[in-house]
Amino acid sequence: MARYLARKTTIYLLTFFVAVSIDFAIPRLMPGDPVAGLISRLQADSTASQQLHGFFTDSFGLNEPLWKQYLTFWRGLLHGDLGPSIAYVGSTVSELIWQALPYTLALLIPATVLSYIAGNRVGAMAARRKVLDNTVLPAAYILTATPYMWLALVLAYFFAFRLGIFPVSGAYDFSLQPAWTWEFARSFLAHWFLPFLTLFLVAFGGWAIGMRNLIIYELEAEYANYLQALGAPEKLVRKYAYGNAVLPQMTGLALALGAVVGGALVTEIVFGYPGMGSLIITAIQNRDYFLLQGIFLFIILGVLIANFVVDILYVIVDPRTRTGLQGS
Amino acid sequence: MVTRRRGIQGGIAALALVAVLAVMSLGVGGASAGSQSPFALPRADTLYTSGTAWGPFASFNPLRSERSPGTVGLLYETLLRYDPLADKFIPWLATNGKWVGKSYVVTLRSGVTWNDGKPLTAADVKFSFETGKLEGSQYSTMWKTGLTSITTKGNVVSFNFKGTPNYQDWDTNMYSIPIVPKHIWSGYSATEITTGNTSDPKKMVGTGPFKYGAGAGTSGTLQWNRRDGWWATKALGKKMPMKYIVDIHNTQNTASLQNFLQNKIDLSNNFFPGVDKVIGGKVKTYFSKPPYMLSANTAWLVPNTTKKPLDDRVFRRALASSINVNRIVTADYGNIVAKADPTGLLPTWSKWIDKAQSKKLGFTYSVTRAKALLAGAGYRDANGDGFVENKDGSKIDLRIIVPNGWSDWMTAIQIIADSAKDAGIKVTPAYPDYNGLVDERNSGKFELVINNDKQIGNTPYTYYDYLFHLPIAETQTFANFARFTDAGAAPWAKTLALNKVKTSDVAKAKKLHAEIQKYILDYLPAIPLWYNGMWAQYNTTYWTNFPTSTGAGLQNTPSMWNGYLNMTGIDALAKLKQKGGT
Repeated sequence: MARYLARKTTIYLLTFFVAVSIDFAIPRLMPGDPVAGLISRLQADSTASQQLHGFFTDSFGLNEPLWKQYLTFWRGLLHGDLGPSIAYVGSTVSELIWQALPYTLALLIPATVLSYIAGNRVGAMAARRKVLDNTVLPAAYILTATPYMWLALVLAYFFAFRLGIFPVSGAYDFSLQPAWTWEFARSFLAHWFLPFLTLFLVAFGGWAIGMRNLIIYELEAEYANYLQALGAPEKLVRKYAYGNAVLPQMTGLALALGAVVGGALVTEIVFGYPGMGSLIITAIQNRDYFLLQGIFLFIILGVLIANFVVDILYVIVDPRTRTGLQGS
Repeated sequence: MVTRRRGIQGGIAALALVAVLAVMSLGVGGASAGSQSPFALPRADTLYTSGTAWGPFASFNPLRSERSPGTVGLLYETLLRYDPLADKFIPWLATNGKWVGKSYVVTLRSGVTWNDGKPLTAADVKFSFETGKLEGSQYSTMWKTGLTSITTKGNVVSFNFKGTPNYQDWDTNMYSIPIVPKHIWSGYSATEITTGNTSDPKKMVGTGPFKYGAGAGTSGTLQWNRRDGWWATKALGKKMPMKYIVDIHNTQNTASLQNFLQNKIDLSNNFFPGVDKVIGGKVKTYFSKPPYMLSANTAWLVPNTTKKPLDDRVFRRALASSINVNRIVTADYGNIVAKADPTGLLPTWSKWIDKAQSKKLGFTYSVTRAKALLAGAGYRDANGDGFVENKDGSKIDLRIIVPNGWSDWMTAIQIIADSAKDAGIKVTPAYPDYNGLVDERNSGKFELVINNDKQIGNTPYTYYDYLFHLPIAETQTFANFARFTDAGAAPWAKTLALNKVKTSDVAKAKKLHAEIQKYILDYLPAIPLWYNGMWAQYNTTYWTNFPTSTGAGLQNTPSMWNGYLNMTGIDALAKLKQKGGT
């Protein structure tokens, strides 16, 4: 187990290093001078603008050679300092991310976990049951092929614009400020529901299809036939099939996380949800190198940590991995 | 194994619920700093505004133009205000300001207090203006163009100049530079003053009618609470009718419009495409007829005058004559904007426009005229493709750019390309993203770009500076994007001369205005197209008496945008009435 963990950790650290280096490079490959955009927004007079350009270029360290900026970036990173924001001068990237992160996590974690559980259950139920299979499967195919943004717009249109059941945008009512009250919690949940539902539905479709196919495959395996020949009840056979089918799904979960994060970002934008998605748009539009780096860093970290957790869970869930590791 | 796995999954489900709550609490913890109102605000006492902030309410620094809505106006105030509709300066923290020789002398109003109870002093004014000396200040120009010292005596502050002061610039400063409390701000470092957020609620001490309520650092809403003891109540009988102002951070236009129509926003300063279709009933605007909105700035078509054939003023004139601006106004904007005067000057500056000259020399839309101009100057369609070529026979294909996503402008350049085609000029629209566009524009790589950087203000001097500013640097960050030098240094010299004319010297100013405008009309360093609106939609469900063109005393700027409260936005707020109230 220790050797397994050590090996995994090394791989994750290497991945982290490469990903973070790419993270540094990507924003800087975009055309456009971030300071010019900043000055253009400031609306100072002509004389002051020229001065300010030099001032900001220096203060962001953008006049330094790239390798130096790269070293500064790592040094800052190891000290937990993600640098200043260019889009929001005066704020640090860490501040901005800490403000936005809870909202994104509040969408992502429940949507991912619940869609995984529900998708697997429904997929398993649908397999080899004609009526269910004919209804659930097409629906699941449509859902999983739906772009997040489109589904978000459709839901917003019907449930917010047309029916007015849910609010159109934001994370809580305009008349409230975050506080520990029932009123706020109610408002928060009402605003949370549609973006959550968007993420949940798209992911749900994917898991349901995957599980349905895996169960069919498992039911055709020899152990299933053997059990059936022994006269085991269908329920029991399905139980065993499910146990085996869930393993590839788990790997799938690790692989899908990146896409889910991407989906959460666009969904947030549609619903004006004040999470990382809204932040990333501003960062891109303003060539905010530091903010972009910071957000990507969190995404990289999040996906890596989640993968790591799945890896560990895998060992716990699948006894074969464990025995393999112990060499017995 | 199966039961155990079920156990794990059950655990995960529980975990998901816990996560919602935990994360919610994180959100609460992160955002509640300074929060004073855990209850929902009473609707009747709250004015909801939107259309100014595009990101988190991070900065509350009045000395930076990137600041949260209301920072200047509701919290911090200026010495004077400027009413662009009546073209007059309004005494505010200062009871008057006048030139005495080469000094500008202001007398501070007595009885003005900061919201921590301390009185406003001349030292506060001196301190605020002296921040312009700090590196990174936006207000550094005054200290480089003649201002040498600030002296105080009692409640009188003298700004002393060397040489002839830049009078026009100075007038702008009077209503733009906010006064901050020295007793608090002297504790800030230079960097905090010039580029900090100064968002500590305890240190947000201003003289204005509102105090910070809640919302700093969040990207949801920003709440201002009415303050007791605002000086203007006693001195001028002004009282804010609303207890709270909540500014809502912009999200998508469609969502903002929906919230507005659902009565969740009272004053919307958003640009809503197609809003002309909902005006009437509960939705009101400044004018009841087109263009519905006041004009806030001019949208110019800026040609790169260093590139062939745009370096030829006859060609520029032909291009200008070929553009059907009326089609942009009606088809693209649904009449919520107005066609610009050939000088490009805003309607509020009409007294400075030499109308006879503008009529005589200004371009008008005429395809025949455009064709005649092209033919006369030697631009012919030799290869018969329907488009004229350069005089040397090389092809003309002008790339016109606007930022991607600015849908109204994207449509506008399609109309421009379309109407230029009728005159035989090939124009191809392109939509780089904003920063890419800024890069192209500033470095002089572009051919044609639409720009409206210069806003309404006390003097068209800013517009002339925008068109003629010299010298031309490798990157043009703010003015003269066209890199215009066709007329030599004369237009710029006259612009500088205008800056040295006192606002009160109307005759001298008028003469210079006419001379400078002649350069605009003759040379077209940029082609004025239409006036962008001071977008303002009122939902009168909860609040009435918004600014209108006809209501008695209601000719105010209906905007929360930065710089508009210190025009007459504050008057607009003070005059609002609760529906059903008095």
